[in-house]
Amino acid sequence: MLTITTESGGTWYRPGEIVRGSVTWRLEEEPVGLEIRLFWFTSGKGTRDVEVVASRSVERPGLAGSAVFELQIPRGPYSFSGRLITLSWAVEAVALPNGEITRLDLVVGPRPVEVAIG
Amino acid sequence: MSSTPLARRRPADNPFASGRIEGLACRLRTVTWPQLIGRLDLLGGRTALVGPKGSGKSTLLAELAARIDGEVIEARIPGSCRDPWSFARMQLPHRVACEHSVFLDGGEQLGALAWTRLLAMTAPARRLVATVHAPGRLPTLVTLCPDVLLLRDLVRELAPEDAAVLDPLLPEIFCRHRGNIRECFRELYDLYAGRSAARHSA
Repeated sequence: MLTITTESGGTWYRPGEIVRGSVTWRLEEEPVGLEIRLFWFTSGKGTRDVEVVASRSVERPGLAGSAVFELQIPRGPYSFSGRLITLSWAVEAVALPNGEITRLDLVVGPRPVEVAIG
Repeated sequence: MSSTPLARRRPADNPFASGRIEGLACRLRTVTWPQLIGRLDLLGGRTALVGPKGSGKSTLLAELAARIDGEVIEARIPGSCRDPWSFARMQLPHRVACEHSVFLDGGEQLGALAWTRLLAMTAPARRLVATVHAPGRLPTLVTLCPDVLLLRDLVRELAPEDAAVLDPLLPEIFCRHRGNIRECFRELYDLYAGRSAARHSA
C-alpha cells in the first residue's frame, strides 16, 4: 500500500508553487527504491504526452515507512481540457522494481479548476 | 436514426480516449495463446499477421511478443514513413542472431526490395513475425477479420453504461469505416466529445 498526502490537504497549486507532502508505504515485497515524481500528462484522442518535471528518490525504503517531499511546479502548462485532450498534473510514487504505484491528481493553474477550452 | 443522449465528457474521461483503447486486450476467438505460439513455431517461426487497417494487428503483435521467451526485438514502421526500410533497420540490431525473435509492425510499408533485405537480415533470427495487409509474403499465422460483433464487444468493455445507446449505432459506424475498428473508436470518441452529435441526432 502506497499513499500520497499533501501538507495542505489540497490538490490545487499555482504555477511556481511547491508541492509539499509525504508518501507512506507498507509493502509486501522489499523495494530497492522509491521514486516520487511530479509530472503532467495528456489524455484524449491520439498520441499521449508525458513529462516528469521533478522527482526525488528514496533509497532502501524498507517494507514500511514514510518520506516527505518538496517538488516545485514550473510556470506551466496549466491543467486544461479541450475537445481533443486533457492535460493533467499529478504526483506519483512508485516502488521499484515491482512497480507498485499510487497517484495523486493535482490541478495547476490560477484557479482551483482546470481551464476549459472550447 | 435515434437520438444519442450521451453526456459530453472531457477528453480524460472519454471512454474512447487512446489510453483506454490501448488497454484493451486482444480477442482471440478460435485459438488460445499457446496454440498460436505453437503454430508460429510449426510454421518455422517466420509468419505474418494479416488484416486490413485498424483490424487489431498491432495489438495482437504486441501481445504475442510479450508472450515469447527469449530476446524479443520489436520494430514499428509508421504509415507516414518516407523511408520505411531505413526506419525499420534503425530499430534492428546490427547483427540479428539466432536468439532473437523479431516482431515488425507495419511490414506492408516495405517494398519488394526492402522486404528481401529484411528477410536476409533476419534470416538467423529464431522468429520473424510481421504485420501485413495482404497474404503472400510469409506464411499466414492469423488473418484478422473484424466484424460488428467484435466492435460491440470492445465498445461494451469501454462504455458498458452506454451499451443500450451505442449498440444500435454500431452497425452503421462499422460500415462507414469499412471495418476499421480504430476509425470506429475515433468516431465514438467524437460522439462523446460532442463533435458530431448532428450525425447521430434524430
